[in-house]
Amino acid sequence: MIEYAVFFFFAAIAVIFALVVILHRNPVVGALSLVASFFALAVMYVLLDAPFLAALQVIVYAGAIMVLFLFVIMLLNLQKQAEEPTRPVQQFVGYAGSAAFGIALVYYLSKYVVLELPASPFVADARTVGVALFESYIFPFEMVSILLLAAIVGALVLSGRGVQTS
Amino acid sequence: MAEIDKVDVALSILKIAIVVGALLNVTPIMVWVERRGSALIQDRVGPNRVGPFGLFQSLADAAKFFLKEDIVPLGAHKWLYSLAPMFGLIPALTTIAVVPWGRPFPLRSGRIFEPIVADVNVGILLIFALASLSVYGIVTAGWASNNKYSLFGGIRSSAQMISYELAMTLAAISALMVAGSLRLTDVVWKQTGYFVLFDTIKIPAWNILSPAMWIPCIVFTVAAFAETNRLPFDFAEAEAELVAGYHTEYSSMKFALFFMSEYIAMATVSALITTLFLGGWDIPWYNEPATFLGFLLSAAAFTIKVGILMLIFVWVRWTIPRLKYDILMRVGWKVFLPLAVINILLVALFIAKEWI
Repeated sequence: MIEYAVFFFFAAIAVIFALVVILHRNPVVGALSLVASFFALAVMYVLLDAPFLAALQVIVYAGAIMVLFLFVIMLLNLQKQAEEPTRPVQQFVGYAGSAAFGIALVYYLSKYVVLELPASPFVADARTVGVALFESYIFPFEMVSILLLAAIVGALVLSGRGVQTS
Repeated sequence: MAEIDKVDVALSILKIAIVVGALLNVTPIMVWVERRGSALIQDRVGPNRVGPFGLFQSLADAAKFFLKEDIVPLGAHKWLYSLAPMFGLIPALTTIAVVPWGRPFPLRSGRIFEPIVADVNVGILLIFALASLSVYGIVTAGWASNNKYSLFGGIRSSAQMISYELAMTLAAISALMVAGSLRLTDVVWKQTGYFVLFDTIKIPAWNILSPAMWIPCIVFTVAAFAETNRLPFDFAEAEAELVAGYHTEYSSMKFALFFMSEYIAMATVSALITTLFLGGWDIPWYNEPATFLGFLLSAAAFTIKVGILMLIFVWVRWTIPRLKYDILMRVGWKVFLPLAVINILLVALFIAKEWI
């Protein structure tokens, strides 16, 4: 009973703040609302018996990635720009496309979703995740680390362009 | 899931009340300690008018905060300006939920009273998560004040905080490797044992007393100074350069909230250093019995250790000059981060050879 109440409350928070992200004019308010939405998602993970994943969601997404977003938004000093009003054709295609996508998503999810947790007792703590990462999934793990290295090198190269070396 | 047990809920509410009450009372005490302590270090007297030894100065300050005019600058963002102090306060108050502050003991009904608000399996990760959230208070305050100096202070401080978060996390990992678990209660229980030297001398197995942990302890403490924006890392509030940094435009109660959140964060981070490196609630050379008296003694030991650490925070503030910003960032990335990473390997070596 209690978990229904918690679930609906945090689901409402996630949806409302996601709507604020899309609809608000101010990008800083949007970024902070996205943080609130991620926090609500982390609560969902806790409800699904995965506190490790919830903590990781907050540390990585809300704590590092969104801070970076906020930096960029604040340093760029984006002003509210006046956009030209959208034409009726654009509006119709936009609404129709999103509605079709939403209906298809709900339909396929309700057909294929699994409504219960796996039957065998599973523990989703750091030890099992670590063991799985370093035993079964070692190859994707190393590939992801190379991908991150490529991203870092790319960022360094891009930011170093135009710097005069003396 | 299991049904809710009413006694559990009542005990949890009691524990939350104790912990939050203690944290909220840290601020007036620390204000007095800071002002008299800084006066002692600077060879002057400090506040001594408002009561014996100036003990009621905090009450006078609180009354001042209640009665001051609350000025909102023109052009400040209506919502974020008021919400920013709360973003700063919430992580500081909630992090203490996973820190054990006393020895568990059985109540008369047989139920074990665990003096920790939330004994989750991944305790330390929640602390890292909430530490990352504390950046938002400063960054939002700096931006929402519509003041260029505040914005600079906010951005600088958040860059510093996310840099030192990395060093802090990696240094904490060394302490967790010794305990073999992410749960802070396990970390403390591991430190209640003893190292036996030459078969006679028993040294309490606190992490700070084992040589492989000296470096992580120093790295964690320095990173804790950086996380709470205390000198020598307080570029966000540098009085000479940035007026008052991110809280320039805040007055009266909102400034009081920032003030409070800084001291509460200091207390929380001291509690963390105590738990990870100083043995938590363990009294050295004394096996606390699992009774109410044992619990009280262990809680008192915890409080004393946290108090000593906070005194060290105040002491360092008035001893070491402020680091220049680029030096601060360089030291954070090029010195502390490699030290913490190398030490993880060192601790792994010690554990493999069973020296710890």
